[in-house]
Order: sequence, then C-alpha cells, then structure tokens
Amino acid sequence: MMEILQNVIYGFGVALQPVHLMYCFFGVLIGTLVGVLPGLGPTAAIALLLPATFKVTPVAATIMLAGIYYGAMYGGSTTSILVNIPGEAASVVTCLDGYQMARQGRAGPALGIAALGSFIAGTFAVVALTFVGPFLSNLAFAFGPPEFFSLMIVGITVLTYLSSGSMIKSLIMAGVGLILSGVGMDTISGKYRFTFHIQSLLDGMGIVPVAMGLFGISEVLLNLETEIKRDILASRVKNLFPSLKDWGESIWSIVRGSILGFFLGIIPGGGAVVASFASYAIEKKVSKHPEEFGKGAIQGVAGPEAANNAGAGASFIPLLTLGIPANPVMAILLGALMIHGLQPGPLLIKNAPDLFWGTIVSMYIGNGMLLVLNLPLIPLWVKVLKVPYYLLYPLILLFCLIGAYSLENSASDILIMLIFGILGFLMKKFRYDGAPLILALVLGQKLETSFRRSLIMSHGDFSIFVSRPISLAFLIAAVLLLIIPIITQRKKLSTLRGD
Amino acid sequence: MGKADRISGAFWFIFSLFISYESHKLGLGALRQPGPGFLFFWIGIVIAILSLAVILKSFKKQSAGELGESIFARSNITKLLLVLSSLFLYALLIEWLGFLIVTLLLFLFLLKVIEKKKAWFAALVSFVVTALSYVIFELGLQSQLPRGLLEFLRF
Repeated sequence: MMEILQNVIYGFGVALQPVHLMYCFFGVLIGTLVGVLPGLGPTAAIALLLPATFKVTPVAATIMLAGIYYGAMYGGSTTSILVNIPGEAASVVTCLDGYQMARQGRAGPALGIAALGSFIAGTFAVVALTFVGPFLSNLAFAFGPPEFFSLMIVGITVLTYLSSGSMIKSLIMAGVGLILSGVGMDTISGKYRFTFHIQSLLDGMGIVPVAMGLFGISEVLLNLETEIKRDILASRVKNLFPSLKDWGESIWSIVRGSILGFFLGIIPGGGAVVASFASYAIEKKVSKHPEEFGKGAIQGVAGPEAANNAGAGASFIPLLTLGIPANPVMAILLGALMIHGLQPGPLLIKNAPDLFWGTIVSMYIGNGMLLVLNLPLIPLWVKVLKVPYYLLYPLILLFCLIGAYSLENSASDILIMLIFGILGFLMKKFRYDGAPLILALVLGQKLETSFRRSLIMSHGDFSIFVSRPISLAFLIAAVLLLIIPIITQRKKLSTLRGD
Repeated sequence: MGKADRISGAFWFIFSLFISYESHKLGLGALRQPGPGFLFFWIGIVIAILSLAVILKSFKKQSAGELGESIFARSNITKLLLVLSSLFLYALLIEWLGFLIVTLLLFLFLLKVIEKKKAWFAALVSFVVTALSYVIFELGLQSQLPRGLLEFLRF
C-alpha cells in the first residue's frame, strides 16, 4: 500500500511538470474536439498526431495521446446528445436516449450527467488502475511464449465476438490483419515475406498509414458518398446541472457503468465501445421502467457514458503492464511507444516508471481538465459542429495526408493510407468491421513469434499450449467465445444500433 | 446483402489461396522448427474456408427472401472518385511539386471543382489553409515537408 502511495506521489511529480501538463491539456482538448467532430475518431486522431509526437519525450507523447483517447469519450457525447450523430463509436449508444432528452428540452441535464458521469468513471478507472497495474505486471512475469500467444488469441477472439456484423466476416478480418502483419522481414529466419519487391513494403505495413486509411479516410469517403443532414438543436442549452432528481436516478447507473466499463476495458478486445453497449443493455434490464429507454431515460445516458470512460481508462492496463493492446486505439499507442524506442511489457513499469506512473497520474489530472472543459465550453463545441462539411473534410484529408507523409518522409505511406482508405470504405459497404484487422495487424508479429518460439521450445509439440495452465485457460476462453454464438442465437449488440 | 456477400466472399477466397500459395513458397519448415510461411499458410486455409462460408450463407439468405439492394448510391460515386483521384495525385506529385503547391492545388480543386464554391472563396481559403498548415506543420512541428519546385525558396 505504502509502495503504491509512493508511486502515485512520484507520478504526480512527473505529471505536474509544466511541459507534461501542457501536453495533457493539448491532448484532452484535441481529444474533445475530435470526439465532437463526427467522422474523425480517436483512432484516426491518435494516428494523425503520432508524427507530431516524435520530437518530444515518450512520456509527454504518451500523456498527450492518452488524453486524446479519453478526451474523445467526453467529446463524443456532445454530438450524440445535440445532433444525434455519434462523434465516435463509443458514443453511439448515447444518441439513443441523449438525443431524445435534448428534444424534450433536457439537453442541459443530459450533457451535464454525461460529463459528470464520465468524470466519476474515469477517476474510478484510474484509481483501480493504480492498484491493478503493478499486480498484473508481476503476474505477467509468469508469462512465456505460449501464454502470450494464447492471450493474444483471446484478445482477437473477444474483439471478433463483439464486432459488428457477422462473426465469420470479423474472423476473416482478423486473419487478413495477421497476414498483413507478416509483410516485411521475418525476424526469425531473416527472409522477406509478401513484399513482391516493392521497396516501401520491405519494412512491413506500417500501422499508422493503415489505421489512418481504414478509419480516417474511409470515414470521409463514406460521408462524401451519402450527405448527412445535420439538425443541430439550436435552442440554447441551459441548465447544465442535473437536478437532484436526475442525480438520484442516475447515480447507480454511473456506478454500474464504471465497474462494468472497467472490467470490459481490461479484457483485450474489449474497450470503451463494448462497455457502452453492454452498459445500455444492462441498464435497460435492471430498470424499473425499461419502456422509457429510447425515449429519454437518463440512465441510458449516464450508464454508457460512465462505462465508456471507465473502459477507456482500463484499456491502458493490458498495454502498460503486458504490452498487449486491448483495442485498436491501444494498438496504435503501442506502435507509438515502440517508435519511441520503448518496450511495452512487464518490464515497462521497472524500466520506465516515469512513463508508467506519470501517465496514470496524468489521467487523473486529465479527467479533471475535461470536466472543466466540457461543461462551459459546450456552446463552443456546438459552433464547431456548425462548420460546414465542405470545409471540414478537406481539412481532415489534409491532416491525414500530412500525417501519413511525415511518418517517414515518404509519399508511399500516403499511398498505403489511400489504398486502405478505399479498402476501409469498401469494407464498410460490404459490412466488414475493421477493428479486428487492426488489432491483428498490431499483435501479428508478436503472435507469430510467440507461436514459433513455443513450438521451438516444445520441439514441435502442440500440447505446450494446453499443458500450461494459464495458456490453457486463455484458449478455453477463446474457444467458448467462438462456440457460443453457434450454440445460442446470439443477440447482436448491433441490433441496438439498428444495423 | 446476398450478391455483395458473394462478391466479397469470392474476393477473400482468391486472396487466401494466393496467400497460402505464397506462404508455401516461403517454406513451411518442420513442426519443431516452423518456417516463415507456416502460420500464414494455415491462416490462408482458414480464411478460404471462412470465405466459402460467407458465400454459402449468402445463398441461404437469398432463399429466405432477402431483398438484394444495391449498396452504392449512384449519384455521389463520381464525386468520390474525383476526390480519390485528387488524393492519389497529391501523393504522386508531392515530392516533385512540393508541399505548398500541391496543397494549394488540392484545396482549389476540392473547393472550386468539387464543391463548386465561388472562385474568390476557394482561392482565399486555399491560400489561408496552405499558409497556416505550413506554419503549423513545417515551422511549428518541424515535419520536413518536401519543397519540390520551390526548392530555391529558403524560409
């Protein structure tokens, strides 16, 4: 206990340095902005801003990128409530009741409870992270190649299970992601794989251009293809503070959402999006008036908003302790850390305590900043939303182009991004979810080397994956996730979205 | 979704066979010493099976009476293709013409030709955006964007 306290104080020492405070502020500000703007999610934003972080220390970079992620969770709720267009995926659920509340003239309380619920949940997640983090790091020392392999399989399976659309298609996406991860040089044999003598592929398929294309460019292309009419509720948003009655109704939703979000966030494959959907489903189930959901039930806003922030905070844990990204956003962050020369994994807490504790503590600070930013600045965000799309999308495209180029001063990264942009667009049209692909792409190399190392360790004996207890547990979980949908009629979370 | 699923299923099927073939070429190695193509060969096989499942399911859906709808709205595809082409051109020309010129051209194209805004508006916005982005990214963030034809300018 004392040790944790000492670490937290150390973390404050790092996080309160002016430069880190500044980057934290930028991160949450940009994150909120990105969350408010439909079409640009935290994944794309982090990918875009990655090149800008090369000039600063890894600690500052991580603090800022983390801020963007959970900041986007706050910002996304604003558009969901006011415009019925989710700023990003984790805010989709908030549209259901949030917008209805706004139409009933209760936009203020909706926004207020979303912000406050997010703050409570975010802080809860960070506190829990403080305790769970070091514990998991120690646990991870028992991990060998088979355990890592099985854990990654579980992660991909969970994400596949929870993805939108058919599970078969998501599995295909995961497979494709794994294949893409194989492009480039194979570290064990030194041979070049799938490069077809294309110069720019020798180093492998960069995650950042792929992510920017799949999530950023494709979104713009989709918006170009079908013009979205945006009806912004022009009425002045007043009464931002929820009434005591609102509090009474929502407080348990917030508590439930926080806990649920935290656990779902830790599981690789889970994260904020999943947490928000699950929370909505649970709130509806436990509610005394389930018929109110979809018509402006405040629990339908409070629960999911808490869940997505708790989930976002918790999803840092697998990355910082095990070096395994829990979701696509973390995957890009992993890429960022590696680019900065760090080795995320069990040793991170030992080798880079300033990064580990500094980031965690900055998340406390960030949550506070966001509370302050969100409530008073809502009129500003509404103005931002009124920027016409014909001005917005060229800007977004330009940021993507510059971002992709500046990764390695290479125009071929732009081309990769554009190609994946087209691919992402087609995938959305043909109903394939890109998240498993990105996760598999990031995990792929480590997955493959773990796999081969395991087999080398066991001299070709596959039973090594099931004879070791931790690995066996993971694999059983993965198999269950694959089989359950076949046995039971899976109630797709996507039906909530009305896919 | 029926026809679309058949198309995508077929695509992934061919893709996966290609991958398995290439992986086989790379060498599968032995079980105790798996080669570079080992895992990917089997992933290719798995994807092939899954894509066949997608195709089969699409037939099942069709017979259940699902309406096959076109997934592409006709009218805006041209806009999309034009924007895409401009982006590809941007990538291909950026190193030859330099960041300032291509960015200016891109915005002029997007605002004037695609969005059909007034010429003075397009020109104004294009200049402002190009200048601002130059200041932010080149001077502020030191992105080292290519100078291209404007190599002689040193500022």
